[in-house]
Amino acid sequence: MDSRLVSQSFLGPDSDTILARIEAGIVGLCGGGSHLVHQLPLVGVSKFVLADPDIAEERNRNRLLGSTPADVKAALAKTAIAERVIRSINPDAEITPRRSRWQDAIEDLRRCDVIFGCVDSYRERDDLERFCRRFLIPYIDLGMDVHEAAGSYSISGQVVLSSPGGPCLWCLGILNEKRLRQEAGQYGNAGSRPQVVWPNGVLASLAVGLLVQLVCPWHGSPQLAACCEFDGNHHRVETNRLDAFGDLPCRHSPAEELGDHFFTRG
Amino acid sequence: MIIFRARSDLLAAVRKDLHRPHPFAAERVGFLICRAGRLADGGIVVLAIGYDPVADDHYLDDPRVGAMMGPAAIRAAMQRAYHGGAEDLGLFHVHMHGHYGPTGFSAIDARESRKFVPDFFHVAPGMPHGAIVLSLDQAVGLCWPVPGASPLPIDRFGSVGAPLLTWGRR
Repeated sequence: MDSRLVSQSFLGPDSDTILARIEAGIVGLCGGGSHLVHQLPLVGVSKFVLADPDIAEERNRNRLLGSTPADVKAALAKTAIAERVIRSINPDAEITPRRSRWQDAIEDLRRCDVIFGCVDSYRERDDLERFCRRFLIPYIDLGMDVHEAAGSYSISGQVVLSSPGGPCLWCLGILNEKRLRQEAGQYGNAGSRPQVVWPNGVLASLAVGLLVQLVCPWHGSPQLAACCEFDGNHHRVETNRLDAFGDLPCRHSPAEELGDHFFTRG
Repeated sequence: MIIFRARSDLLAAVRKDLHRPHPFAAERVGFLICRAGRLADGGIVVLAIGYDPVADDHYLDDPRVGAMMGPAAIRAAMQRAYHGGAEDLGLFHVHMHGHYGPTGFSAIDARESRKFVPDFFHVAPGMPHGAIVLSLDQAVGLCWPVPGASPLPIDRFGSVGAPLLTWGRR
């Protein structure tokens, strides 16, 4: 057992090896993603594919963990900040930074054993989950929003573990046609994508827990699927939505629709 | 890099099928039916979509080996793979060694697979093909990425379910 991880030896005698072997993709490295790049190397994940096209900006600095004023001044890529954070925890980590849209990094992301999605839109979530299903990759989706209602604001979010064979974001009602249509017009209704640090931290912590229970189940009954809904006004996490789904098979991602549509060798 | 992934419920069904006794063969064999995707380093991710067991009457009675497939078994597998081009499927011959932990190809396994796997390119030349040996909880495999090439070891396996299991050389 790696001495750095001895306090989590209850995860299993080989848990350090198992976690070190996992290659995690993180799509979106600002709010939720910047928490993930701190926590995942701490628990022992040591291989990463990082995808984000953006640079650090002053307006991100209320939630971009690990960023500095100098990063903003230098217009440093979020992938570079994430890489620096990971290496500060694990200098030997294997990192594939892709300063690009995730759609331009798919041949690296396909390698991943799990992908975390910290994307802004429902449309991107839909595309990313479909991609993961096609390549048999468990997808952990983090989503957070602030809405204005009757003169006050509500913070909400969710973390979904969407595994091949289990319910998807459409099954769970996180994605639906109405939302996609509304989003095509405007995202949220409290200005330009309001974001704050603490809900992202809650959601990222839940997401890391979902991965660890999947690969190093410490309680004997790992969950194939999970839907944790965060009520940021009452500081509660509910998990009832999955109960309503039951054991119904996912009808949105047929089991045989895998791989490239038209496979060609490189 | 070559990665092989399958849902854990499919692998469980394969193991259950391969565990069944055969009227005369010492072990059972079958084929994992696969699609594929390209990786950044020129590698391949192979994705199992189904499993076809070899029918009881497609075995030959050959006590020198655990299981000897007859020509009908190969023909049935090749018919499964052939879809006329873009929809062709990869075929991965599979059998099981009844122990836990890492496993390997016996000399006979390796010799026999080198005889018949290259023939799969006759019907699905654009897809990778190969051979896999399962243990009760892991696997090892060889992949023929292109016609005429030597087989490459499968670097990493993923059994996708709860728990999510990965193993391999990388």
